[in-house]
Amino acid sequence: MDDGLRILCLAMIIAVVCFLLIPIAVTVVMAFDARAYLGPLPPPGFSLRWFRQFFADDYFLRGLGTSLQLAAAAITISLSVGVATAFAIDRARFPGKEAAVALFLSPLIVPPVVTGFALLLFLAEMGLVNGFARLLAGHIIITVPYTIRATLAGLAGIDRSLTEAALVLGATERQAFWDVTFPLARTGIVSGAIFALAVSLDDVAVSIMLTDAHTYTLPVALISSMRANFDLSIAAASVLLMLVTLALILALERFVGLNRVIGQGVFR
Amino acid sequence: MVGPQPATPDAVIEFRDVSKRFGPTTAVDGVSFAIGAGETVSLLGPSGCGKTTTLRLIAGFETPDEGIIEIAGETMAGKRPYERNVGLLFQHYALFPHMTVAENVAYGLKHRHWPRTEIAGRVDEMLRLVQLRGFGGRRPGQLSGGEQQRVALARVLATRPQLVLLDEPLSALDAKLREELRLELKQILATVRSTTIVVTHDQDEAMSLADRIIVMNRGRIEQQGTPDDVYSQPRTPFVAAFVGRANWIHGRISGEVTGGYARLVTDRGSRLAIRKPPAIAAEQWSVCIRPERMAVAGPGAAAGRAGDNLLPGRVVDIVNMGAALHQVIDCAEGRMMVVEPNRGAAQARKGECVSLLFRAEDCVVLPRVAG
Amino acid sequence: MKADGSFPLLLPAIAIYLGLFFLPLSWLLLESFRLYTPGGIGAAAGAPLTLANYAELLTPAFARFFLETMQISLLASLTGVLLAFPLAYWITRKLSARWRAIAVGFFVTLMFLSVLVRTYALELTFGAAGPLRPFLLALGISPNSRDYIAILVGAGLLHYIVPMATLTLLGTIQNVDPRLVDAAEALGAPAWKAHLTITLPLSMRGVLAAFLFAFTFSISAFIIPMILGKGRVLFISNLIYNRFSEIADYPSGAAISIVLFAVALAIVYAMSRFVAKQWTP
Repeated sequence: MDDGLRILCLAMIIAVVCFLLIPIAVTVVMAFDARAYLGPLPPPGFSLRWFRQFFADDYFLRGLGTSLQLAAAAITISLSVGVATAFAIDRARFPGKEAAVALFLSPLIVPPVVTGFALLLFLAEMGLVNGFARLLAGHIIITVPYTIRATLAGLAGIDRSLTEAALVLGATERQAFWDVTFPLARTGIVSGAIFALAVSLDDVAVSIMLTDAHTYTLPVALISSMRANFDLSIAAASVLLMLVTLALILALERFVGLNRVIGQGVFR
Repeated sequence: MVGPQPATPDAVIEFRDVSKRFGPTTAVDGVSFAIGAGETVSLLGPSGCGKTTTLRLIAGFETPDEGIIEIAGETMAGKRPYERNVGLLFQHYALFPHMTVAENVAYGLKHRHWPRTEIAGRVDEMLRLVQLRGFGGRRPGQLSGGEQQRVALARVLATRPQLVLLDEPLSALDAKLREELRLELKQILATVRSTTIVVTHDQDEAMSLADRIIVMNRGRIEQQGTPDDVYSQPRTPFVAAFVGRANWIHGRISGEVTGGYARLVTDRGSRLAIRKPPAIAAEQWSVCIRPERMAVAGPGAAAGRAGDNLLPGRVVDIVNMGAALHQVIDCAEGRMMVVEPNRGAAQARKGECVSLLFRAEDCVVLPRVAG
Repeated sequence: MKADGSFPLLLPAIAIYLGLFFLPLSWLLLESFRLYTPGGIGAAAGAPLTLANYAELLTPAFARFFLETMQISLLASLTGVLLAFPLAYWITRKLSARWRAIAVGFFVTLMFLSVLVRTYALELTFGAAGPLRPFLLALGISPNSRDYIAILVGAGLLHYIVPMATLTLLGTIQNVDPRLVDAAEALGAPAWKAHLTITLPLSMRGVLAAFLFAFTFSISAFIIPMILGKGRVLFISNLIYNRFSEIADYPSGAAISIVLFAVALAIVYAMSRFVAKQWTP
């Protein structure tokens, strides 16, 4: 019975890992397919045609440009606001602190389409019609909870007695903050920035509600393309996106350490 | 509440009727004491007794609700920790993990505005004092527990504080290391001639480091005195039970006086000779006898002089601890612990009938406390 | 009271949350009570308040979508957690520290992977136009049938749920003392029974948390059912989008949004209360 169960579990594990990996592998392989159409596996030859097609497409390139600009702007604002908020909450002592934190993290619970829809209607009512501004608003509200949460988690890991040690050695509160608290919170802040970046670059549901004919993000462009004609330039785009993800993970590992990320429970 | 008391001249630190409350709990309740230059005093007590709060009041992390705290004659009211010249060694050292050892030790010097040119020299001097010369470039994460403790000590002493506070300095170390560092700590503190307060729950730590012990319980001071005072002449049952082991016998004092000794009639009916009790009106009394002041003799022993007490009993357990014999004896008054030096002589055996011997002079007589 | 000087730091966040979150959501709530006249875009200005949008949701036509979303989400979440548990156990107990780190990196990467890449990859591999088509047909499965598409949507959800649940359960299983299982086996229980009666109950908190995370994620899913569902399988989020983009019936979209939000909120509330309090091992 034991051995049977062990074999069953092992088989299950292998099946799951295959399920997770095979579609990714297929996409990568097909992205280099030399054929001009979507045919059965395996591809007869390999080429970079689809990548070239992707980069030649103005539609995608515009989306890419917007995505990058949005990410840069959103991260800057999210980080500043998020870090300031986290520090303020961490330092303060008042009843209902947990409720306040839950409130700040609440956008994570709301279905993204709902967030986007609500923003769309409200901003229209307020008279804000500029596409980029609307998208920026959406990207800010979906990234700030991540920066707040990651920074708070980083701050929580700092031993309170360190600040007290600084004070008793002669540092004022402000000096203690910059000498001790801020440097030690850095990993939390960096972690939040990387998560925010990933969320902004990947977002579709919120962006799709806030986009307009002239301003759209790369994921939105890819979605439209996917529904219109299902060709392999999207496979090429996918491979590029995978590389971006890998880069982000490596940055996370290098600057923060993945085990710390897991331990903090930053995942939903 | 006692009225304001005159300031003790030349005290490095003085507490006058200091109280601190946290919500409904009174952590520190009307505490008064004074410590002179060069003294090492220990605040000893169980967790929750108020010793840590007292420490934090001295350092400036808490402000008293009542009372006056003065350091070198200056009142500390309204003074933040960085405005006081006090050093604090944290229980878990609180070394800055992102700074090197040298930067840690230099931190206080920087913020107390020591001249730049002198800082490096002073850091070096301190590291030599704690025998960590050459460790300046390392980080706290690379050090062992004992080494971290020494860096923390160097950091505390670097700025020549008027008062050094040690929070359970040896509790985070394992037993062997504790022994070694205890002596070193004492020597280092003597070398710099510091005035020190050691906060601890460990009686051994207090007895071995301090010139004077302040025993605290539930926010109040139970007794102040030298280690021997506190051990041999405990003034309350709490102190008697907390500092060292104690055997207890309870009863009432009968009017008889024989040969200069008073008579205690125990709850079980035995009659014991004790010294004259303190002049307090009390119905019930408790007598405390230290294990090493009792002796075990054969069953036929007889009381010799006046003032000798004899209780028949039966051996429950004998543990040979090497240097001493720990014996547990059951008698009419309950279970007694007797500690005798191991002289290699024949020992009593489990189950044997024996006699417990102790002198009236070795009985500490205290009013009985309920419970 | 708050520490001095902290409050000004909170002002930007308060402004942003108010303006970009709470007020818009309140506005959405208001919109859901407005009357929609067909042919217009959104509710006409000054339209009367009504419960019609919500009443519509009680009809079988809508209930069908709601149920299907719940059904597929439930199955995907259950399957995901069921698969993640042995996976997490194996990583925690059977792998060396180095391989464990690699496994963690692997799953974190999968979680970070763009949802687009995921859905495209699945559609490409298992979809009707993909390279596996001949194999599927040979097995007698029609890649265009509704059931297949529903399963594919579930698979899309699983592709996120499994890494997420595995990572959550890693921490949970790490906290279960392996010696307890050893003790059970020493007392005569076979391995499977030991795990069933010891490892599983002690991990229950994490298992429930992972399940609720997965479920909240699934019912809120948008892209996955949009791409893999091919318009035949619709989740609630897709319904909202359709109301918005195809019919311009904003009030109805708003009403559906509020309902979805309320359900998600209820699940999260249940999670924080029930899981935290009931399941103390």
